[in-house]
Amino acid sequence: MNIGILINEGPYTHQASDSAYLFARAAIEKGHRVSRVFFYHDGVNNSTRLTEPPQDDRHIVNRWAKLNQEHGVDLVVCVAAALRRGIKEENLASGFRISGLGQLIESGIQSDRYVTFGD
Amino acid sequence: MAVEINGKTYETDEEGYLLDINEWNEDVAKLIAEQENINMSSQHWEVVNFLREYYNEFQIAPAVRVLTKAIGKRFGAEKGNSQYLYELFPYGPAKQACKIAGLPKPTGCI
Amino acid sequence: MSEGQIKKFMYVNRKAPHGTIYALESLEVVLIAAAFEQDVSLAFMDDGVYQLKQGFNTKGLGVKNFQPTYRALDDYDVNKLYVEQEALAARGLTEEDLCVPVEIMSRAEIGKLMETQDIVLSF
Repeated sequence: MNIGILINEGPYTHQASDSAYLFARAAIEKGHRVSRVFFYHDGVNNSTRLTEPPQDDRHIVNRWAKLNQEHGVDLVVCVAAALRRGIKEENLASGFRISGLGQLIESGIQSDRYVTFGD
Repeated sequence: MAVEINGKTYETDEEGYLLDINEWNEDVAKLIAEQENINMSSQHWEVVNFLREYYNEFQIAPAVRVLTKAIGKRFGAEKGNSQYLYELFPYGPAKQACKIAGLPKPTGCI
Repeated sequence: MSEGQIKKFMYVNRKAPHGTIYALESLEVVLIAAAFEQDVSLAFMDDGVYQLKQGFNTKGLGVKNFQPTYRALDDYDVNKLYVEQEALAARGLTEEDLCVPVEIMSRAEIGKLMETQDIVLSF
């Protein structure tokens, strides 16, 4: 099954990004395809490469980047939400790309299931 | 960046959009148009003024599709098509006309 | 984009218009989504019903009042707006308090409508 994911909350403060990640991994392990994760609202903060969690904590940003590298999951950050919150190409982590809200709608159209993680 | 006219300076962003949309007036509109290589005709003003009215009423700049339909309704079917609007504003009515009208930069989310 | 495919998108608004950015950014999604010519509806539930309550004045807050934008939805061919009856009643509101024409529905009815959707985006 082709699965699309929307993440509406930032990393560490809120569990949305963790849950989405665990869900995506589990889905991929079961043989599904996670085609795109769209980051919106504070969710865009999952994409800054300035993120440096303590060594004994999970690295949420790198974890997503790895999922992109290993499974081709398209990580799209909403440009309007990102500009509001100071996320630009210059501090964007590798594996992510900045694009428009149209990518969210397109993902909804193309996915068999669409799952929102948020508050 | 900034533009200057009649001894007053108007701050703009790097693409030339007014930073303070409340500072807009017709003179600064003409100046922005000039920088876009547009010579403001009455048809240009029709669109620019319409955009400003729309923004004042709804607090958004309409999508091109919505603008086209609304222009057709207001000024006649021969004007309600994107070809007409692109002839007036070659780089796109959303971007250029909004800039001249002093509206916020469309987030261009598509 | 896959041409010609039409899915049912429902945007569920559950939060008050101010205090958080969810309402504004949800509205931004709806406006962009309208260009994709999908079957779009909006549901207002819980504190989300406040988004449509007439007469907001945000001057003191120092934030933009985006309520007028709900009145532009019709221009974008977004005209299926459903409001939860129980949420209105619990907040002492009636249809007359709202800034746009809507259809009032019970929580259960909105639930049934959700079941018929392809995509439900909750904000």
